[in-house]
Amino acid sequence: MKPAARTSPTILHVDLDAFFAAVEQRDRPELRGKPVIVGGGGPNDRGVVSAASYEARRFGVRSAMPLRTAGRLCPTGIFVPVDGAKYGRVSVQVMAILRRFTPKVEPVSIDEAFLDVAGTEALWGPSESVARAIKSAVHTEVGLTISVGVATTKLVAKVASDLRKPDGLVVVEPGTEAAFLAPLAIERLWGVGAASRRVLADYGVTTIGDLAALPTDVLSRRFGSQGAVLAERALGRDPSPVGDGEVAKSVSHEHTFDVDTAEWDVLERTLLALSEGVAGRLRAGGVKAGTVAVKIRDTEFVTVTRQRTLPAPTDLTEPIWRTAVALARPEVRGMTVRLLGVAATHLTDREQMSLFGEEGGRQRKAVEAADAIRERFGARAITRARLLRSGIAQPFERDPLHSPEARRIGQRRLDGDARPDRGRDT
Amino acid sequence: MKLSVMQENLARGLGVVSRAVSTRSTLPVLANVLLRTEDAGLKLTATNLEIGITSWVPGKIDTDGALTVPARLITDVVSGLPAGERVDLEVDGTTLFIKAGRYQTHLRGIDAEEFPVIPAAGDRPTTRVSQKLMRQALSEVAFAAATEEARPILTGVLTRFVGDRLTLAAADNYRIAVKSLPILDAVEETTLVVPARSYQELMRILGDTDDPVEIMLASSKSQVLFHVEGTELVSRLIDGQFPNYQQVLPGSHASRAVVDREDLLKAVRLSGLIASSAANVIRLRLGEDGSAGITIAAAADVGDAEGEVEAAIEGDAVTIAFNARYLTEALQNIDADQLALEFSGPLSPGVIKPMDDPDYVHVIMPVRTPS
Repeated sequence: MKPAARTSPTILHVDLDAFFAAVEQRDRPELRGKPVIVGGGGPNDRGVVSAASYEARRFGVRSAMPLRTAGRLCPTGIFVPVDGAKYGRVSVQVMAILRRFTPKVEPVSIDEAFLDVAGTEALWGPSESVARAIKSAVHTEVGLTISVGVATTKLVAKVASDLRKPDGLVVVEPGTEAAFLAPLAIERLWGVGAASRRVLADYGVTTIGDLAALPTDVLSRRFGSQGAVLAERALGRDPSPVGDGEVAKSVSHEHTFDVDTAEWDVLERTLLALSEGVAGRLRAGGVKAGTVAVKIRDTEFVTVTRQRTLPAPTDLTEPIWRTAVALARPEVRGMTVRLLGVAATHLTDREQMSLFGEEGGRQRKAVEAADAIRERFGARAITRARLLRSGIAQPFERDPLHSPEARRIGQRRLDGDARPDRGRDT
Repeated sequence: MKLSVMQENLARGLGVVSRAVSTRSTLPVLANVLLRTEDAGLKLTATNLEIGITSWVPGKIDTDGALTVPARLITDVVSGLPAGERVDLEVDGTTLFIKAGRYQTHLRGIDAEEFPVIPAAGDRPTTRVSQKLMRQALSEVAFAAATEEARPILTGVLTRFVGDRLTLAAADNYRIAVKSLPILDAVEETTLVVPARSYQELMRILGDTDDPVEIMLASSKSQVLFHVEGTELVSRLIDGQFPNYQQVLPGSHASRAVVDREDLLKAVRLSGLIASSAANVIRLRLGEDGSAGITIAAAADVGDAEGEVEAAIEGDAVTIAFNARYLTEALQNIDADQLALEFSGPLSPGVIKPMDDPDYVHVIMPVRTPS
């Protein structure tokens, strides 16, 4: 449903500043003011940076960077292991505060959320006042700072919250969205990854304003159906409403390879990691997937998606992986792959009962036990042997709405590609 | 090899055996049909190593011989020849010369020695069944087999001979169809699992006649052979234990509805249009004892639908949800005008029985929906 044009900016994007690192600094006063790097077992670990404090960022340390690189860039950095359970608890506290201000809260990941405060003016006053009240509540009750963007669309609010971090507040008045975006670098725009950026650079596009000035048919020719969407976004238009906790339409995980690969074993293992992540999120959400889709992007940036309906809905890794492998195998022949994605769609909370006992009854017991271990001891506590040292981010680290690529260049940005697919080809 | 056959006989024979031709095999000879003179006729054979089909074409033989030629090609060539024409076939080395009227062609083939050996029939049939009854039974059962290879045994149809009866059962993990029928010769208790795909092919071969199909178990017990006049189908068997289906067939019910099959199928299809946009789940609602209709409903993001079908209802009111596909397939394949639906609550198996056939039962597992 397309919301009516808004006359006041009622959409807020709330983003916790350097979340994991900030939580560690809050709990351990000796870390305050120091470069804190959260992730794995220290500078000799093969893992990646999950979060870096602002002090560490000054050294060039970024999320998703290999820990070794971080250690080299920031020799004085203090490495802290990831405590997923703790961050999860803090996140729940923050989301609860947000829900006091409006029922329309859409958590995007562990450390950010969209809010729609339309209709709360009588209680809280204009949106800017709500934003200030939220910032103050989070600071006094949880001891963390947040940055807030206020605008008429999710797209612009997201860009705005990122503009004056940390502890920022940016309000974009209705009607000024395009002008607000125009001078900003193109990579701040939702859905523009490194590859799109390179293509756009050929047209001399470096700012969002440059993109807005480009004729739509040029974009359509180069980007297909995404072209029109890009043109709209460049003007700050984004029809997506703030979801209020309804069941997601799909769950997807993607991985962009550090080095494009044609090795089937690597692809198969990556599909396993992605399927594992997707299945975990299905189980956490109490839903099963009726359909599995894979997305394959090659070096030339040509993207294909293939999907298949499962014989019965599932929330287990194996059937999702088997299907993903079957879908991907004929497509990747002779192809050098840049990105792989696995998506679960046609989600259902209904359960087809079985005649002779559930398929994979033992698998279910195993995953339930593994889920319980992860909940208690953190995401890294248990994994498949096949995924050890595979270099693929753990599901917990990976945020489906941010491409690993986006995190690599240190920018927290929504990646349009990772959103629930619309108009997927089969 | 040198012989003459009638065009229509050869075309029919090739049409029958080409169903068994392997379309994507790494073994080139499997894309071929074997021609061999035998018993004053021409024997045609094709196989994909799961099934083999043999057909005999009457003809006039000058010299014996054999050759394999590409099945698709010879089938197309022969069917393009004028009907009623005499077709002369002659093999020279690995080339088949075909001549009919003013048309002639040479097809290059592969030596007959390279063609796999298809097990021959034993001397005596193990038993015989009316072709018509067998065909009807298979059409009511075989579709329920699993198509996924996840549990290979369920891609087969349980084929169990006891005394003078044959029981066929096919199931995937969510539904099962069982049919029992008489056989003409009592046999000792024998249980086979025949691939459902083989039975799909057998159904094409069986006629609408009471003439029997002879069923023979190859001495190795790894193959089964079906013989009707002029045609033979050999199928491999699936190894393993078919699940004990009898324990999942409900013995009693709390609600029962008698309904017209066509009416119910139409209503299920209509609601299925809505259901298919989501998890393909439709709900059946039977009212209190004595009420006069079943409600068939579906709801999804795209909208919702509800239809009512006239029915005679006994027992408790119940609402039960099913995957529309399973219900549709059952209603399409059961050969009866009136059906009885029997339920024992929303989480117990649903049973469909034809009113005029006590020897058939179909069971579908429901879908648990959040209350």
